Amino acid sequence: MFGFMHGGGESAADGGSPALSAIEMLPIPQRLYLPLRQHAGYPSVPCVTVGQKVGKGEVIGRADVWGSVPLHAPTSGTVVAVTACPTGHPTGLTQLAVVIEPDGAERWSEAVQGMVDPLNAAPSLLREQIRAAGIVGLGDECFPSHLKLTPPRGKRVDLLLINGAECEPGLSVHERLMVERANEILSGIQIIMRIVSAKQCFIGIEQGKSAAIQAMTQAAWGVAGVRVQGVPAMRPHGVRQQLVAALTGKNLSLGARLLDRRLLVHNVSTACSIHDAVWRGRPLLSRVLTVAGGGIARPANLEALIGTPLRHLIDHCGGLQSGVDQLFLGGPLLGQAVNTQDVPVLKSSTAVLSFLPAAGVAKPQQPCIRCGRCVEACPMGLVPAEMARRVRKGQLMRVAELQLHDCTECGFCGFVCPSHIPLLDTFRYAKWVLQAEKWGRQPPSVGGGHALSERDGTAGEPAVVAPPAVVMAEAVAVREEVTVGSASGKGARAVRAAHAARAAKAAKASRDQAK
Amino acid sequence: MSDNKTSQLITDGLWYNNGIFVQMLGMCPTLAVTTSAENGLGMGLATTFVLLGANVVVSLIRNFIPSAVRIPGYIIVIAAFVTIVDLSMNAYLHDLHKVLGIFIPLIVVNCIILGRAEAFASKNGVFASAIDGIFTGLGFTLALVVLGSVRELLGSGSLFGQALLGSDFHPSLVFVLPPGAFIALGFILVGVRWINAKRDNEAA
Amino acid sequence: MSQTNQLMKSSPHVHDGDSVTNVMEAVIWALMPATAMAVMIFGWTALLVIVITTLSCLVTEHLFLKLRQRPSAIADRSAALTGILLALTLPPHAPWWMCVAGGVFAILVGKQVYGGLGYNMFNPALIARVFLLISFPAQMTAWPPVTPLFSEQSYSLGDSIAIVMTGKVGAPELADAVSSATPLGQYRTETGLGKTVQEALGGGYGGYDEVRAAGGLIGGSLGETVRCWGRWGGGYLLRKKVITWHIPVSMLAGCLVPATIFWTYDPAHFPDPTFHLLTGGLIIGAFFMATDMVTSPITSKGQIIFGLGCGLLTYLIRTWSGYPEGVSFAVVIMNAVVPLIDQYTRPRVYGHMA
Repeated sequence: MFGFMHGGGESAADGGSPALSAIEMLPIPQRLYLPLRQHAGYPSVPCVTVGQKVGKGEVIGRADVWGSVPLHAPTSGTVVAVTACPTGHPTGLTQLAVVIEPDGAERWSEAVQGMVDPLNAAPSLLREQIRAAGIVGLGDECFPSHLKLTPPRGKRVDLLLINGAECEPGLSVHERLMVERANEILSGIQIIMRIVSAKQCFIGIEQGKSAAIQAMTQAAWGVAGVRVQGVPAMRPHGVRQQLVAALTGKNLSLGARLLDRRLLVHNVSTACSIHDAVWRGRPLLSRVLTVAGGGIARPANLEALIGTPLRHLIDHCGGLQSGVDQLFLGGPLLGQAVNTQDVPVLKSSTAVLSFLPAAGVAKPQQPCIRCGRCVEACPMGLVPAEMARRVRKGQLMRVAELQLHDCTECGFCGFVCPSHIPLLDTFRYAKWVLQAEKWGRQPPSVGGGHALSERDGTAGEPAVVAPPAVVMAEAVAVREEVTVGSASGKGARAVRAAHAARAAKAAKASRDQAK
Repeated sequence: MSDNKTSQLITDGLWYNNGIFVQMLGMCPTLAVTTSAENGLGMGLATTFVLLGANVVVSLIRNFIPSAVRIPGYIIVIAAFVTIVDLSMNAYLHDLHKVLGIFIPLIVVNCIILGRAEAFASKNGVFASAIDGIFTGLGFTLALVVLGSVRELLGSGSLFGQALLGSDFHPSLVFVLPPGAFIALGFILVGVRWINAKRDNEAA
Repeated sequence: MSQTNQLMKSSPHVHDGDSVTNVMEAVIWALMPATAMAVMIFGWTALLVIVITTLSCLVTEHLFLKLRQRPSAIADRSAALTGILLALTLPPHAPWWMCVAGGVFAILVGKQVYGGLGYNMFNPALIARVFLLISFPAQMTAWPPVTPLFSEQSYSLGDSIAIVMTGKVGAPELADAVSSATPLGQYRTETGLGKTVQEALGGGYGGYDEVRAAGGLIGGSLGETVRCWGRWGGGYLLRKKVITWHIPVSMLAGCLVPATIFWTYDPAHFPDPTFHLLTGGLIIGAFFMATDMVTSPITSKGQIIFGLGCGLLTYLIRTWSGYPEGVSFAVVIMNAVVPLIDQYTRPRVYGHMA
């Protein structure tokens, strides 16, 4: 009532999404790059040697601890290297990866074995099977699924929630999976219910995705305790709090543990891969991604082997349009910019996006006019405009009082801000500083000087700056220089300001002395 | 007493440490009575007289007053001079007295006067205190006349009662009303700071 | 070459493409029908008033930003919007110097001294109107009768220039330019003399015609007379989602609900709610003045409180204060309590107790 409800831009930011294009199998690329850290927790340990032949589904990275999962060869071939390869991070940092040259034979490893009668198997066996298959939550977090399926002693799960909403706007991975693999998903759900002995399951699907709702309802027909439920098309349901609220009406804070409410959330892709792992013994070898955005010639939903370089996906989709210089791994709001097409698809990759330069991202910043759109957009009920103002004034304790730590960094505030204020960057910075203070490190001096200039539009120009602010100011400055163009001189000025930060500090000190 | 120090007292009182422009003290009479330059001048001179008298007497008795009761003592001294001013103005400048009304007795609580008594006269000799009193008072008068002139000019189109701007000028009533006092004082302060900043830059 | 992008940035990577400039432009477009109608109804003088006011706003903005050594922000259209809004609160025959004084005051004292766009506490156009109303009460309440363009009563362009440039309303050579009271003014003056509402406004409100009022064909300031067109523009803003319904609806309710209650109680002394709706600047105030984003609360709950306050104060001022019309005072007073409203109407953070 009265529109007081908060939550997301409805179906916002659809960057030319291929909502209804069916999932295509991507041909096997010439080389696969498999970084050993693909999930939250300890990375797996390489257990192959260069030159070794591997079968499809053979373990190439061992999981030595319970909290880790193994990594498998997505197809049969030869290990050609165990070396550093770029990952999908803006820094371009590399990490250890197994490089496989596929032989194209698709020869399955003998180790791949499905379970007999899994619905009557002991939960511990099912968990071990899921762990051995390397299943992780196929959202952004990539938390190993077997851990999530092991409630601590004394906790139990009554209600299983299955997230059928997309992680981010513009994606259609979950929708296509539900349309095309509804029965597999249902089977995965039953296995999960068996493991945690949940009595009930709600499958939340965005209203309006009628094909998916229909397919899932059909598949769930007659399955005890499973119900398909439409949820309002609000983002981001990838943040589980929103989904829980939409399905159960319960309001959970970001810190609240779902298990304390006897709830468990999984998404449809995870359920699908659990089915494959348990019934057919297939490890997690591929995943479905949306390749979209104005910069992509032919947007598509692709099922790609883990480790496929982005170049291969993009070439399959007709390559990048001319004049496109940005590539993102992940959704439009949370994804990360990547600096090379050699980055491989990981278990966590949900999308590959590329936008035309005119996507309205890089407009010059204008003063906040308090229009309140960020407040309306914030799914957590925060007041981003006020928080950003406080950060700029250096009043970080006040920002913390405004529940900065409930910010999920979904990016909606920045998406709707007509003043093009980098709100999310501002909050990340504030969190960084507050964290540093907590650790007892020397915090950057934001109290006195304006770490971010209050009135000047450019988020640069820190008056008194410690290293992180300099880094940030430089990052912003570089971005502005490229986008706004050096003709305006704004970017260049910010760079100078950042470099001259220490000099400015000294000058200020001497001025104070003079007084 | 060196000439150097005296001249510093004079410039401080008039400008660099001006009670209104710099210290922002005594806002009540400043904003209330400056509807015209004449009122500002009258108020300023009355205050100057009280400042001079209070500073001299406080300086004279500074060594005899126990510090615990010095503030009541100063107030009594100030009140005595204010009464003199009040009665004299009522007798000789009756019209102005009627305009300034309650603000004449209220000079007693003008922070500038008590401030100078406490901060200066109670620690310095009679001559220095007298100089300080006169020029602080004149600085106050200067501020009030400037503010009064601006408000009178904009609000009534005249200066010291003389119509200056002709019949084509439409006086803006708001400047003789209280909000106009704040707006005008704000812009005068901007001007003063601008002058000072410019001079500081040149000096540097 | 393996490098794909020279440009690295953090998320979000997309934007809905809106900008402050777009917002301001949308409001200006929404004001166009009202502005055009004002010109139609009052003739060339209205156009001159609008042009002079807007130009003085733009010039002041430019000069002041230059003085502050900031890049000129004329391009964001906010100064132009302030100018048009201010012009719509002025009487149709406002002399040129009043337009200039208002424009300069709006930008200088209303906006730039606070730090420019986004930092001002009061709606610049309304603070300038209040300044003019207090400073030049006679000129600000000289309401000429309507003189629709291309009709017999209309002034030629030359006469219009003479009116605005010399400020001589009702000069001998312009004999028919006599002042008439606005309905609100008439109601206040006459009921103040002990008459009933019916007597004050003509039997059964005969002298005051609701249809004419809705269409704008009665005396008043430029924006007051064009209310139905103003509402049309307000609808456009709502549809474009530049503003939300909270402030306009609650402001109208805040004024009309008490009006209905008092009218039901004593129709002889309190005019009916349609009178309040269709006279004065309530509609243009509710859609364009109170909804100014910088000076209104940021949350929707706060906006409703703000709107109710604006409406209620409008009614109180119209009925019991010394001024016949109170929209601008009401909005400016409510502007002052916006920080307080914002403080106490923060949305409940997800999962936290209220």
